[in-house]
Parts: sequence; structure tokens; C-alpha cells
Amino acid sequence: MFTGSTVLLMVTVMAASAVEAVEALTIILASGITHGWRSTWEGAIVAFFALAAVVGVLGTTIIHHVDIDVLRVIVGTLLLIFGMQWITKAILRSSGFKAPHDEAKIYEKEVEELKKEKHIRHGKRDSIAFVVSFKGVFLEGMEVVMIVITFGLSNGNDYSQLKYAVLGAVIAIAVIAVIGAAVAKPLSKVPENTLKLGVGIILVSFGMFWMGEGAGVKWPMSDVFILILAAIIAATTFGLIGYFKRLHNRMQHGVHVL
Amino acid sequence: MKILKVVWKFIKSFMLFWQDFLVGDSPELALGVLIILGVAYLLHNSGILDVIAIIVLALVLMIATVWRKTRHHS
Repeated sequence: MFTGSTVLLMVTVMAASAVEAVEALTIILASGITHGWRSTWEGAIVAFFALAAVVGVLGTTIIHHVDIDVLRVIVGTLLLIFGMQWITKAILRSSGFKAPHDEAKIYEKEVEELKKEKHIRHGKRDSIAFVVSFKGVFLEGMEVVMIVITFGLSNGNDYSQLKYAVLGAVIAIAVIAVIGAAVAKPLSKVPENTLKLGVGIILVSFGMFWMGEGAGVKWPMSDVFILILAAIIAATTFGLIGYFKRLHNRMQHGVHVL
Repeated sequence: MKILKVVWKFIKSFMLFWQDFLVGDSPELALGVLIILGVAYLLHNSGILDVIAIIVLALVLMIATVWRKTRHHS
């Protein structure tokens, strides 16, 4: 049954999966266009099944063999690390200290690199296309796998959350794949930074909550406190974006800052 | 010997993958989160103090990481 936290879980997993799927799509397109589609698809499909196997094996093993409090500490710690990484990157990009993630540019660079490779075998098996596509999908997907497993297992010995997390990831990946196949170019218009920022705030909030709960902390108002944590993190994040944006502008205009 | 080298190479690249995945270019984040976890364990019976400590430490970690990175990027 869908509850408020299930919907939030699915939306978070979908947003995180969409971001990573867009990045994987860029690599698949670059590989397919330069080295042919056959091995590119094979690499992507093998990577997808490898990731599914990781979720299945790791998820099942953890559910049956890890104590709920230990699980919450591991889940919380991982979510807090991932969330902090996503938020800090998003703040740096939003404030101008880091270049925005540009799929079109990444695509062009990838195509140039792949064109330099010899032995392009259109229509036949091409090991370079297979490896590039496999690595692209597997590495981008690994972060999604970790988010799916950690979010999916937050309730402990219960498969229902994991099922919803997997469903959210599969829906997002399918949507990006269909759009990617239809437009056949990198999806530069997906607001990756905004998605990363939103997902980062949710990951940090849930991460703090579960890590604390696993360590024995009694949060006031129980699960509802996650919303308060999210509000505190969001307010700090937007405050930092505003401050560092002004700082960046001052630096651009040559004003000396500390 | 050749098999040992291959196994060692695999273990090394596996460890490097996880190091890059969890730590990346922000070692202070991973370390900071572990410190927050330690503080949560230490203070978990101290009433509201544990909650305040976790929130404050997480915010300090976030601000310090962004601050360090802006120095690096500028």
C-alpha cells in the first residue's frame, strides 16, 4: 500500500535514477554512434542485468542476515555520505564555483575520444563499444543501486520498501531510455542540478535520521522529524547558494575576498 | 605467481573503486560522517543533546566542505 513515506521514497529514487540514467544515456549514444549499436546495446544490457543481480543478491543477503539497528547505521551513513556529496556539488554548480553539468559537451568530448579509436566495426561485435557502454551503465548505475538498496531496506526485514525502490528506479530508467531513443541525442534539458539538489536534501535528511536511530537516538515526534530535518537542510543549502553566489560574483568583479 | 598478481590487481582495483565511490575528492565528508556517527553513539542517552549535536555537526560539515571546495575552485 502507498503511504506518504513510500511516495517520497519512490520520488527520490526516481529522481536519482533519472539523473544517472541521463548520464549513462550520453555514453551509450556516443558509443553507438561512433562504434555501432550492436555491441553498445549488448554492453548496456549486460550492465543492467549485473546491477539487477547486485540489488537482488545484496538486498536479500542484508534483509536476512543483518540486525535492524546495524542496518540503519549502515544505511544512514551511506545516505549521509552520498547526500552530502550531491548537495555540495549542487551548491558549487548553482553558485558558479563549478561548471554546470553539460550533457551536450560531455557527449561531444566522448564522441571525439571514441572516434580516435581504431578498429571500428560497424554491424559486427566491437569490444570497445561493449566495454565503454558496460562501464558507463554499470558505474552510473552503481550509485542508483546503493540508493535503491539503502532506501529499500530502511524498514529492516521487509521486502515491500525494496520493491517500491526498485520499481521507482525501473520507471525512471525506462522513461529516460524511451525519451533518449526518440530524440537520439543527449538530454541536456533535464534539470540535473535541481534534481541532484532535491535528492541530496532528502538523502541527507533520511541519512541523519536513520543513522541516529540505529545509534540509539530518540528523535522527537518520531518519523515526522524527517520533515524538520529536511527543512533545516534545505534552508542551509539555499542560504549557502545565496552566499556563495554573491561571493563568486564579487570575485568575478575583482573584489578581494578572504 | 601470475595468478597472485592477477588476484592482487583485481583486489586493488576493487578497493580503489570503492574508495573513489565513497570518498572521492571529499575525504572530509566521509570522515566527518563517521565522527557524527561516533558522537551519536556517545550522546544517545543524553536527552535532546544527541539530536542537537547531530544536526549541528551535519550543518558544520556541509558548510566546511563547500567552503573548502570554493577555495579550491577559485
